[in-house]
Amino acid sequence: MRNRFDEQLLQLNNELIRMGALCEEAIAYAVKYLTDRDAEMRENAIDAEKKIDRKEREIESHCMKLLMHQQPVATDFRLIASALKMISDMERIGDQAEDIAEISEYVHLSDLSSRVHITDMAEAVIHMVNNSIDSFVKKDLDIAYSVITMDDTVDEIFLKVKKELIEAVQNGHDDAESLIDILMIAKYFERIGDHAENIAEWVIYSITGKHKTT
Amino acid sequence: MHKKIFRSSVLITLFILITSVALIMGILYDYFESQLINELKREAGYISIAIENEGLDYLSGINDKNERITLIAPDGTVIADTVADAESLENHGSREEVKLAIQNGSGTSLRYSNTLTERIVYYAVKMEDGNILRISTRYHTVIIVLLGLIQPIAFVVLIALLISLWLCHRVSVKLIEPINALDLEHPENNEIYDELTPLLKKIANQRKTIDKQLKDAIKMQEEFKLITENMNEGFLVIDKEMRILTYNSSAMKFLDISEIGSENILSVNRSKEFRKMLERVLSGERYESETEAEESCCRFIANPVFAEDQVIGAVIVILDVTESVNREKLRREFTSNVSHELKTPLTSISGFAEIMKNGDTPDEMVVDFSSAIYDEAQRLISLVADIMQISELDEKSVVYEKETVDLYVLSLEIAERLHSEADKKNVKINVIGDTAEVIGVRKILDEMIYNLCDNAVKYNKNNGVVDIIVNSSDGKVKLIVRDTGIGIPLSQQDRVFERFYRVDKARSKAIGGTGLGLAIVKHGAMYHNAEIRLESKENEGTSVSISFQGDAV
Repeated sequence: MRNRFDEQLLQLNNELIRMGALCEEAIAYAVKYLTDRDAEMRENAIDAEKKIDRKEREIESHCMKLLMHQQPVATDFRLIASALKMISDMERIGDQAEDIAEISEYVHLSDLSSRVHITDMAEAVIHMVNNSIDSFVKKDLDIAYSVITMDDTVDEIFLKVKKELIEAVQNGHDDAESLIDILMIAKYFERIGDHAENIAEWVIYSITGKHKTT
Repeated sequence: MHKKIFRSSVLITLFILITSVALIMGILYDYFESQLINELKREAGYISIAIENEGLDYLSGINDKNERITLIAPDGTVIADTVADAESLENHGSREEVKLAIQNGSGTSLRYSNTLTERIVYYAVKMEDGNILRISTRYHTVIIVLLGLIQPIAFVVLIALLISLWLCHRVSVKLIEPINALDLEHPENNEIYDELTPLLKKIANQRKTIDKQLKDAIKMQEEFKLITENMNEGFLVIDKEMRILTYNSSAMKFLDISEIGSENILSVNRSKEFRKMLERVLSGERYESETEAEESCCRFIANPVFAEDQVIGAVIVILDVTESVNREKLRREFTSNVSHELKTPLTSISGFAEIMKNGDTPDEMVVDFSSAIYDEAQRLISLVADIMQISELDEKSVVYEKETVDLYVLSLEIAERLHSEADKKNVKINVIGDTAEVIGVRKILDEMIYNLCDNAVKYNKNNGVVDIIVNSSDGKVKLIVRDTGIGIPLSQQDRVFERFYRVDKARSKAIGGTGLGLAIVKHGAMYHNAEIRLESKENEGTSVSISFQGDAV
């Protein structure tokens, strides 16, 4: 009985890693599309988002089955509960990566990139998502805590980007649409950062049994 | 076992106790009975004598509750009785003991009384006068006797039982003790019950087999570990749940991790390519993929492992293909270089020819053009020759005839050949040294030294000097070509042996050459197992030394 349960938990773990990896890919593709304007990357990002949605359903039903059939307690229960929370955060990351890819179509970054730190933000967010998935994969508390502190950095960069955009507007930059779009993209990045932080918090919960908010 | 021995021995003792009590009781009872009859006989003897002497009055004097004395006439009528009135008694002639007494002179009979708890023994004897004297006495039946004896018997049985319980316990403990103390590590060394010897022998044999199998297993594991650990290739075995079963240190190096903390392979690498590989291989398909990092390239070869048509895991081998990928890159570069180098002279040839084709060209121009075409064609020929030479050396499949070559003589020949070329720049070629023989391929050695000297002349200054120094010591031959030319900048010194590499691309055009000379020298030296050293200072000169190993080739 326990053996079968262990196997199912292992499968759940693997599925979560896969979904996390898909998130990393989705956001990497979206950022690639934003900077390199490679149309294939846009398709990849949208494709990854669809896969993430499907994975979310799969993992959800997997978790439900485990909860009903095995009625887990303690660590096992925490793992499943945090898995259920994590997948919704991951799903949001996927959605926002897709949104970024879609908006990027109308953004012409080339002449702005020197003035706006949006690529820095993209890098920081990718790093954050990578680390939050890593903390889950390695069950590493240190990495999880580092993700939480990194969110502050991302927030700072967001404010900086906002300020730079305001300056650009005040200076009468001719492509106003791009500026607004970049602001939205920056907001999406900021949101992705928050979701990555959430994932890290759930990782901490699944290991220690304590959630930050409680 | 202890319990069983104890219980059965207690049961046996109980059984023996009960049967022995019963037997003893039976025997004793029998003995009592015969004793009683004997007593009655003796008594009857005395009484009959007494009656004969004293008459019937004697009987009335006897007042014994336990014994009853009856005097019976031969016809059966009772004459006198000590208990009842003689007249009230019926005829006793049919009684068994009386009948026997009439017939044989005496008789005994046993009868139960009305209550059954008592028995009455009758003894009759025929007296001298023909009357029959009968004495009877009552005594208790066996059951009553036993009931009477119940207290002492119970006491004895209890004591016997207690003693036997204690003894049984001790015996069973003693029996079990050596069995518990058996040394199963060395079963054959125990000396206890003979009955256990076959068992112990069997255990000893089994132990030996187990030890052997264990040793084999450990040895196999060690061998396996030794093999995998010494592999340069990464080696990973996973099961179908993607747990890592085995890995070696090379695999860890390739996957760029210091330790495998988790047992899950996805936690080691979750890149898209890797996931795809795992998915494909666990669905039972062989999969190969190549990943390119900045400095190294790895090839992953994943093979599924089947058991009864089911995929139970996978074996992943990781190869370092950096070198072959680099070589492939070099080859591609070489090909594109060759095409480029071939195209340049061909374009000029075709250009000159095109102009002349129209026919309006003045005669002196035709001569110029023709000589230009000739020059370019010569360049092409030497280029093709060099390419052929270098690809022959590359192939390594071409077998050359080896012979003893005197490098000193060869150098003199080459110096002679380059004489006219050197004279143009007023360069002096000196050959220093003496006979130095190596075993090698004359053609290649010639090519090597020629290329070196040709470079030394070409890249020399006017009025310069080229020294070819040949010396041999301890069987090792060293050849140095030294010039006083323009030299090679330090940063480019290790690149000059690359194919088509030119230090100064503008100047090379004027000087000519194919850019393959030093590459041929390098390959030739490699072929002869010789070592090349290049020392150069800009504007001062270059010195290239080739050291042949004594036992070379």
